Amino acid sequence: MLRKYLFVLVLIMCLELVAEDGEVKITAEDIIRTMTETLNPKQSDALMEMTIMTSSNQERTFVYKAYSKNKGEKSLMKYLEPGRVKGQTVLMLNNADDIWMYFPKTKRVRKLATHAKKQKVQGSDFSYEDMGSSDEFIDDYNSVLIGEEQRSEKLCYKLELTKKENSDAGYSRLVMWVEKETYIPYVISYYHEKDSNLLEKELFLSDVEIIDDIPTPMKMVMYNRLDNTKTSMSTKEVAYDVDLSDNLFTEMGMKK
Amino acid sequence: MRSKVFLLTFAFLSIFLAFAAMPNADAEELDLFGYFEPQFIFLYRDGESYQMNSDKLRVDLKRSVGGVEFGSDLIYTLYYGKKNWNILDFFSDDIRNEVPEGMQSYFLVEFKDTLYLDNVYIRMSNSRIACTFGKQQISPGTGYFSNPVDVFNSKDALDPTYEQPGQNGARLDVMLSDRINVMTLYSPIAGDWNGSGKLLRLKIGLGHFDFMFTGYEFKDYLTDFYSPPGISERRRLGGFEFVGELLGLGVWFEGAYNFMEISDDFYEFLVGTDYTFESGLYVLFEYQRNERGKTNYEDYNINDWLRFYLGENKTISRDQMYGMISYPMTDLINLQLLSVLSFNDGSAAIVPVIDYNIFENMDINVMGNIYTGSEGKVYNSRLGNGLVIRARVYF
Repeated sequence: MLRKYLFVLVLIMCLELVAEDGEVKITAEDIIRTMTETLNPKQSDALMEMTIMTSSNQERTFVYKAYSKNKGEKSLMKYLEPGRVKGQTVLMLNNADDIWMYFPKTKRVRKLATHAKKQKVQGSDFSYEDMGSSDEFIDDYNSVLIGEEQRSEKLCYKLELTKKENSDAGYSRLVMWVEKETYIPYVISYYHEKDSNLLEKELFLSDVEIIDDIPTPMKMVMYNRLDNTKTSMSTKEVAYDVDLSDNLFTEMGMKK
Repeated sequence: MRSKVFLLTFAFLSIFLAFAAMPNADAEELDLFGYFEPQFIFLYRDGESYQMNSDKLRVDLKRSVGGVEFGSDLIYTLYYGKKNWNILDFFSDDIRNEVPEGMQSYFLVEFKDTLYLDNVYIRMSNSRIACTFGKQQISPGTGYFSNPVDVFNSKDALDPTYEQPGQNGARLDVMLSDRINVMTLYSPIAGDWNGSGKLLRLKIGLGHFDFMFTGYEFKDYLTDFYSPPGISERRRLGGFEFVGELLGLGVWFEGAYNFMEISDDFYEFLVGTDYTFESGLYVLFEYQRNERGKTNYEDYNINDWLRFYLGENKTISRDQMYGMISYPMTDLINLQLLSVLSFNDGSAAIVPVIDYNIFENMDINVMGNIYTGSEGKVYNSRLGNGLVIRARVYF
């Protein structure tokens, strides 16, 4: 784990040095790649709390275990609370291109097609696409570095990502502010699939802590600007230095 | 009844105490959860209105010790309002007249308060193998409204996601690779090897598709009003399913061919597709063909209706179309419209549904039932148009 972190750190330093020499500038692709590396560690085991604030100012809180492997290519979410969803499990493979849901009351596993990625996770402002697709910023969008800006009191790269023609991503355009030091995207603005000027959602990451040598945003808040709702997600516990079996990310793993 | 209540309560408390007292450093805490579900049904038929209400309490216990999991749930249901019905009242006059006057009382049904252990099982597993013994949920099939390969459960197409009762059996699940699973089940239904259920099911994942193959042999029973006590015979089912994606649409198929010992062999299949629009609107359609179903509604007889209500046949007519449209109106309110259409007689049932998560652990579900068909058709108004209000409080 330490080796991977050092690799990312050295990569970041090299990119900065070359840029200072003025010979080769850091590209948007480099930033996105390093950011994706930082946000998707090799493995993770976390206890998460998701709180939805509805447009009528009612709160709904969900607690779930979240596991991921292969830099987010495989992920599994198992709900612990509240009782009405307890035991429900979502398995996402191939960067959420394959999704299965397990319903404990009927012991039934249902495979969902990729269009289901657009569905809200438990009525929250996060879609399955937002939660499970680790490489979407690289595979689904073309990125351009617009410049540097101060955002959330951090000096950030400002990037614009536009949806590739053959992509089935749920947004037409993204604008993100990626902190120069940690490569954490502090703010991401999501624009509507049909109207690239219509701001649909905004994601704010904060409370970055170094856990197992990996910078980790402990809090995320997604604002839905169209529905006037918000969902906050906080990391209660997280470990990266874990050895998760591949068997966890299977149908049998969902039922455990 | 009182002694049964006492015995079941005693059995459940014994299981509870055994679970709670189990000393083991690896053991998770005893998990006690469940729900309380009051339900109100208003029914309007033949110019009369009726109420039939129920209160259901489900208590689940679960505890894991290492790779061993114990689980059970107890269901206690109390009924109020109109509890006595004659099934014949729901049939057309032609069918009712087939039953001699003196036999009509045989079709009386009374909803009695019930208390039973719905599931009680022990599951031993490691990362690749799981053995489950006892009364457990068994729900094969990819279809949403109906499942041709599922002979264990009888789904109500107007309320297809409602939980199903547990089945007795010894089950072995083996994961051969990440996406290849084998399931075997021995279900001692008739108490002897030949009559008992023996199931083998293989699931293979290839690309964005899952393929399932099922073989099941069991003793089947078919009610026959005209020559009682009916037909008891061996049934061998061969099933094939797939689920995946085509041109951006979710697609699935579930088919079964049934080799019957005495009655005619028959096939049954279902194909379905679904899609989620950017707005969150979700649509699902399924078509089902059941060779045992009739193509002309004038041929429906009392056997067809009885076999359908007893879960022996999944449909009365041969060709059915199911549809569901679902839209999240707010974060807490979901609207649905379900419809079931018989192609053969043109009748349909329409079920508008409102799901409201009123509190953190409480859902309210309001369902309407509207039948469009005339007397004698599958979805006829004599079945009673109505409203179901169901609340569920989880703990």
